[in-house]
Amino acid sequence: MLIAALALWAGQAIAQPSQPPYSADGLYNLANTYARAGKPGLAVLNYERAAVLAPDDPDIKANLAYVRASAHVLVKPRNRFVRLGEATNPTTAAWLGLLGVALVGIGLVVRRIAPRLLWIPGGGFLLGVVLIALTASNAMLLWPRMHEAIVLIDQTPARVSPVPMADTAFLLREAESVTMTAEHEDFMLIRNGSGLSGWVSRANLGAVVPPVGGER
Amino acid sequence: MRWSKIFIASLCLLAPVEYAMAQTLDELAFETIEPSRIKLGESAILRVTSFGRIKDVALPTIPGLIFETMGRSQGFDFINGSTLPATFFLIRITPQFAGMFSIPGLAPNSRSIGLEVVKGDEPNPYTWRSQQPAPAPVVTASLPKGVQLQAGGAAFVHLAIPARPVYVGESVPVQIEVGLRAGIVTSVNGLPTLKGSDFTFNNLSKQPERREETIEGGAFVLLTWHSALAAVKPGEFALSAQAPLTVKMSTLSAADRAVASRLAFPLLQSMYSGIAPREMTIESSPFQLKVLPLPTEGQPDNFSGAVGEFRVSSDVSPANVAAGEPLTLRLHISGAGNFDRVDSTMFDHLDHWKTYPAKSTFTPSDAVGNEGEKVFEQPLIAAQPGERSIPGLEFSYFNPNTRQYERAQTPAIKVIVAASLASGVSLDGAVVTGATRGLRPDHRIPQNQVSELRPLYFRVPFLIIPTTLALLLAGSWFAVRPRAARATSKAGERVLAKLDAAARTGDSSSFFEVAREALLHNFAIRWQMPVDQITVAELKARLGTSGEAVERLFAIADEAKYSDYHSGRTDFQHWLSLIRGQLAGDRE
Repeated sequence: MLIAALALWAGQAIAQPSQPPYSADGLYNLANTYARAGKPGLAVLNYERAAVLAPDDPDIKANLAYVRASAHVLVKPRNRFVRLGEATNPTTAAWLGLLGVALVGIGLVVRRIAPRLLWIPGGGFLLGVVLIALTASNAMLLWPRMHEAIVLIDQTPARVSPVPMADTAFLLREAESVTMTAEHEDFMLIRNGSGLSGWVSRANLGAVVPPVGGER
Repeated sequence: MRWSKIFIASLCLLAPVEYAMAQTLDELAFETIEPSRIKLGESAILRVTSFGRIKDVALPTIPGLIFETMGRSQGFDFINGSTLPATFFLIRITPQFAGMFSIPGLAPNSRSIGLEVVKGDEPNPYTWRSQQPAPAPVVTASLPKGVQLQAGGAAFVHLAIPARPVYVGESVPVQIEVGLRAGIVTSVNGLPTLKGSDFTFNNLSKQPERREETIEGGAFVLLTWHSALAAVKPGEFALSAQAPLTVKMSTLSAADRAVASRLAFPLLQSMYSGIAPREMTIESSPFQLKVLPLPTEGQPDNFSGAVGEFRVSSDVSPANVAAGEPLTLRLHISGAGNFDRVDSTMFDHLDHWKTYPAKSTFTPSDAVGNEGEKVFEQPLIAAQPGERSIPGLEFSYFNPNTRQYERAQTPAIKVIVAASLASGVSLDGAVVTGATRGLRPDHRIPQNQVSELRPLYFRVPFLIIPTTLALLLAGSWFAVRPRAARATSKAGERVLAKLDAAARTGDSSSFFEVAREALLHNFAIRWQMPVDQITVAELKARLGTSGEAVERLFAIADEAKYSDYHSGRTDFQHWLSLIRGQLAGDRE
């Protein structure tokens, strides 16, 4: 009963959106609008969000690269393995992982019921393990993007401490990607592509994957 | 009584004398400064020595000097071999700029003293370093033409202006030279000024040039300031320069000076020498300057009043931009002249460009701003991509040397304008700009929507699904039994069904026969031994007390098989219970 209730709650939680819905195409169109308005920071943020939902969309990749080049923001190219792993749609990967769990479990049960039937449960078990591995690798590659943010204001100061009057350690360009490592009140501790760390006001950053109930 | 009256009367007579002596001592004070010539950046110490009852001295206010009280101490000083109690005040003096300063006496009746401050790169003659370079030899010179010594031969001021006629608005460099006889002129009490109402003057250079010359047998310090003037109207005008000074002047007659020289004590000599500082202003001879009007013939339409010699150039940055992005067009005008009248509106309108008002900055290359460079900056925004040409800029001015108007023009500048971020195709397929490059077009109205950007596998509600599934499958794995055990269990169920059927029909022969077969088969599997090897002793040994019941059942089975054994309903139930118990034992 408890398991059934949990499953029912999970299904309802996934099915019912608690926030206005996202879509890759909607985010892409929004990013185009920002790009045309000359706001590369917001444009890159929405392209990145669209890429989370549709990592294999060529239009998103092309426009993201174009806007970054126009804003003179360079990003390190990802290696082939990472690109291959990120090319899988995370939603698809999640359901494939679920299928993998089912195949592994069913294979084990069938093997217990009919020990003489080796190939059928063995093949299902193997396929399930592969699917679970695919999902796990996709999740591991996508995990860093959960902490990625885009600089929205040009010449944003990264300060040495999380107070507005603190000295500026270095400046960030608009549309630059940074990694959020800690937070304190209205400031986020970030690390840029050069490995430099500093405190930046939250208002100047946009998280690629916003927290639940947070800013959009 | 008589002696006491004489004593009191003597005191009364002596009191005025003591009072007068005390007053004299109160007024007796002098000041020394060490050193009296310092470099800019150094400090001098002013020591006030008072023999009276002065408790404090008021610090003066002199532009260019900062006074700080260092302390006050009591002690003794020697005057002509006599030891007198004295009070010493030490004051630090720090100059802010070079020049000659006159510091008034800080104690009553004390005399003013002079302090000369030189620039840091000038040699200080008071240093005792052997490596100190020898001072440059003093140049012997004569007074400039038309200049006369003033203030009793202690100083002069000279105004140097080009002798040629000048034009209205022309910036004319001027030079004011003030000569000061060393030791006589104690200070210059302010910057020299130009006297003339028909001119506008630039500010004087902040620091005068300083040099030393011997003029008419006397050592002079020459201070030279630079400036520039511009005439506001044509005509002939007189112009002169003034300089405020403090000069040591003797106020005594020759007879009085002779008396003073006979005084024995140096202190008294200095008190009665009759030489006192006097503030005065000296003025140069008037200079007649002819001012010509600017010619009206050939005056360009865009002439802004600039008079001088100028050069122009232009540039843009960045050279390559995207449509919609700003670039800065700069016009550089350099040379010599009245830069305050150098003006350019740049472009009011330019095809294919959006223009903004220009701003200008002037960087002088001399002290008075007569020479330098003025830069005009105008932001421009390209409306369309492509290769564009910004036309050349023109600047007109009057050249007083050639006496005619001249036009300076810059060449046209080519700019590559790339497609802007705004170029692309909107959702309805309409081209936003004429560019073919740029952003890829919008997508159609989205269909698939998600509630949040986090992937499913990072959300708790989703993770419950595979967890639940895994739990269910694990439970199933534990719940199901292997195939052999299940077969055994099914065989036992079938046996029990047969037994039930035999019991219902009262067929005791079949009942016990089936029961014995089932139990033997069951024991053979449990004990891993053939059926024929299961003996009575084996049953007793393995089953204990229940073995006797099984033995009894086997005995009844033999009896039922080989004789006519009948059993009641209650007996069947009893044996069924026993058989179920034994058959269930294999699953435990």
